[in-house]
Amino acid sequence: MQAILRHLRLVRLFWSTSLAAEMEYRLNFVVASINSVGTLAGGIFGLFLFYRTGYRPGGWRWEEALVVMGLFTLLEGFTRTLLTPNLGRIVAHVQTGTLDFVLLKPISSQFWLSMRNFSPWGLPDVALGLGVIAYSAWRLGVAPAAIAAGLVPVALSVVTLYSLWFILGTTTIWFVKTYNVTEVLRGLLEAGMYPLAAYPAGYRIFFTFVVPVAFLTTVPAEIVLGREGQSMLFVAAAVAMGLLAFSIAFWRFALRYYTSASS
Amino acid sequence: MTRIITRLSRTRRIASTLLSVWYAYMLEYRAEIFLWAMVGLLPLILMGLWMQAAASGATAFSPGDFARYFFAVFLARQFTAVWVIYDFEYDVVDGRLSPYLLQPIDPVWRYMAGHAAERLTRLPLLVGFSLAFFWLFPEARWLPAVGDVLLCALALALAFLLRFAIQYSVAMLAFWIERVSEIEKFWFLLFFFFSGTIAPLDLYPPAVRDAAMYTPFPYFAYFPAQLLTGRPAPIALGFVVMLGWLAFFFVVNRVLWRRGLKQHSGMGA
Amino acid sequence: MPIIVAEHLSKSYRAAAKEPGMLGTLRHFVRRRYRLIEAVRDVSFSIEPGEIVGFLGPNGAGKTTALKMLSGLIHPTAGRCEVAGHTPFARDSAFLRSITLVMGQKQQLIWDLPVLDSLRINAAVYDIPEAEARRRVDELAAMLGLTTQLTQPVRKLSLGERMKAELMAALLHRPSILFLDEPTLGLDVNAQASVREFLLSYNQRHGATILLTSHYKADITALCRREMLIDKGTLIYDGDLAAMIERLAPCREVRLDLRRAYAAEELAPFGEVRTIEGRAAHLLVRREDLTRVLPRILSDLDVEDLTVGDPPVEQIIGQVFNGQASANADVQTPTPGAAQGAAT
Repeated sequence: MQAILRHLRLVRLFWSTSLAAEMEYRLNFVVASINSVGTLAGGIFGLFLFYRTGYRPGGWRWEEALVVMGLFTLLEGFTRTLLTPNLGRIVAHVQTGTLDFVLLKPISSQFWLSMRNFSPWGLPDVALGLGVIAYSAWRLGVAPAAIAAGLVPVALSVVTLYSLWFILGTTTIWFVKTYNVTEVLRGLLEAGMYPLAAYPAGYRIFFTFVVPVAFLTTVPAEIVLGREGQSMLFVAAAVAMGLLAFSIAFWRFALRYYTSASS
Repeated sequence: MTRIITRLSRTRRIASTLLSVWYAYMLEYRAEIFLWAMVGLLPLILMGLWMQAAASGATAFSPGDFARYFFAVFLARQFTAVWVIYDFEYDVVDGRLSPYLLQPIDPVWRYMAGHAAERLTRLPLLVGFSLAFFWLFPEARWLPAVGDVLLCALALALAFLLRFAIQYSVAMLAFWIERVSEIEKFWFLLFFFFSGTIAPLDLYPPAVRDAAMYTPFPYFAYFPAQLLTGRPAPIALGFVVMLGWLAFFFVVNRVLWRRGLKQHSGMGA
Repeated sequence: MPIIVAEHLSKSYRAAAKEPGMLGTLRHFVRRRYRLIEAVRDVSFSIEPGEIVGFLGPNGAGKTTALKMLSGLIHPTAGRCEVAGHTPFARDSAFLRSITLVMGQKQQLIWDLPVLDSLRINAAVYDIPEAEARRRVDELAAMLGLTTQLTQPVRKLSLGERMKAELMAALLHRPSILFLDEPTLGLDVNAQASVREFLLSYNQRHGATILLTSHYKADITALCRREMLIDKGTLIYDGDLAAMIERLAPCREVRLDLRRAYAAEELAPFGEVRTIEGRAAHLLVRREDLTRVLPRILSDLDVEDLTVGDPPVEQIIGQVFNGQASANADVQTPTPGAAQGAAT
């Protein structure tokens, strides 16, 4: 308990300081907001191109597909708020050798690397994503209780997404120069904009078992919309916890190969 | 006469040195470049969606048409990828531009050589990728006509120059404002809408498609893809629009470059 | 009871080698060749609590690698080390709280924010109560002569101020063992001196053990009573610098201000001529000959002023690394082996 409180205190301190640092660049907020609105509009336009001829991708109704799009935007916001500013910097830490300082702190280095920074520029995405989900759920007449229960699968997909990023970020210990490895992941995750059922069979297998995009947006949407039962929730939980545990073990393993930038 | 020859040989020497040094540099980053190539996977994701849609008979395109189209879009994006704004911003902010200005060669050639060398390193990757693609999607296999290939290559070369001119022009703003690369993000918003990366423009509402052809955007995806796959495209209009934008951004770029240098030296940087 | 022990410590790693030019590039691409670099080879020593020990050696000698092994950042290839009763690489919390590592050119401060914010974070990470942290900040700031700088964004500080702030961040948890890698690199002479003074007073106040590397001999001579010379990964000398000078340079330097310029041949009978600049000359004279030679110099030469001192440390160290410990041609040459013998 004491340890949890201490870490919460640290997170508050971390985030307040990085917020203060980010506020030095106020124009960014305008840029980020325009970007979020534009990206979402582009996404919805892309979706509209499918539906305008009366085609229903994977048998999903327009509003149901919008829930998936909303979840994707929400996760994108999470990525910009916490993942890019933290895990995107692991490479820089390894390259410049400042990872040394992180390793010498008497707290978990994974905790430090994952929570040290907070960027407010992803918040417009979070707000827009929630807005789209709320609108579609209202149009579909989903009960408020079902939406509230949806918080659990969404939290699980956040854990899954984090773990995937961290596992990839860890590989920089060996391949120092791969800045873009997380960008590739981001490219693949864009598949999560659309319901999995809209893809051909080969894609569905790849995005379920190789890169578990399905568990990021489609599965939580299915649970919220009642398309899948509670058993799916257990599967999602198993995936999330399994990946999280693996990311922790993988980081410990990788550190044994850390050679520290010379001088 | 001899002066021209020495001049030519000097140019050749500079060009080949720049290229070979950049090539070595890019090879060092080959893992990176492989990843960059992978970042452009979005067309392939959308390809899946459209192929599935085509299989249900929702469009006039067949699954094979879509596969070919998005494959060509993927290739076009590989050849038109430009990142000069990041390099330039970094050089200005970090003060590395000043020593380059002292050398008797316009720094633009340095950036150009970097991009050209990177293309060379990407080439073998693309061959491998194409083989894998046609193995995975046999319905996409086709042999483009020689004329189409040449036309597409010309369009891609022009598109690369255009993209470079546009981005390098925006990069010039680094002389006046911080973080110009943020502006670059707006480009992608419009690009996403109008380039044809998310779907062939033929599937757009016709008015949108016709308007888009006068912007630079379709020339980095839709236009070269149509040429390569031998589908109908407004060829004459396309090349005229491209050349027009290229001329426009070339002038903008040179004007900004001159003003920017004045500003740069004024700051004593 | 030593606080730092290293036994047969070694570290080697592979590095890719590439030849210049296009051909080299292609060859490198097709088939990488690696060289095995032995950064540290079979190094053993022990350090008592409260000692200040200098790590000397040319670039790439293995100093930094050794420090990183001792601070637990990298795992030794062979041998073992123990710091404050812990195995460094396990990096357990108690160990990390008792040490610090300062690297001259690397920053742990938040660039856009005042120093105090970085210090607050470190206080929280090291579990230092707020009141106590404030007290320590005041104490460290007073020792380092920092005041208003603490509330300025780090990017606005001078290099020297930034280094001092870096030291504050590194020492806030009051470590008892300090690993310092080039703590004065790039600083001007005044800033160097004040960092040195600070380190000395920190050592005295808290009885801390300090192990530092430096290029600046002044750091070493001002701070350390004991030096370890490391070259090509091997420890070639371990002991008191004064004793080392004694052993390696059995000569004294006689500095002469003369009333007229003399040719080198005229001065040669009195000792080895190191330099002649106009009417100033430096001679090296063996210690046991000194009392015999000095009266002769005074009587035979037209001397305005004469001082006797040790040859500069740089010169001696240079001689060690060049493998020729002799400072004087007609003095019997102690071999490098003799220097190595001193290490054991």
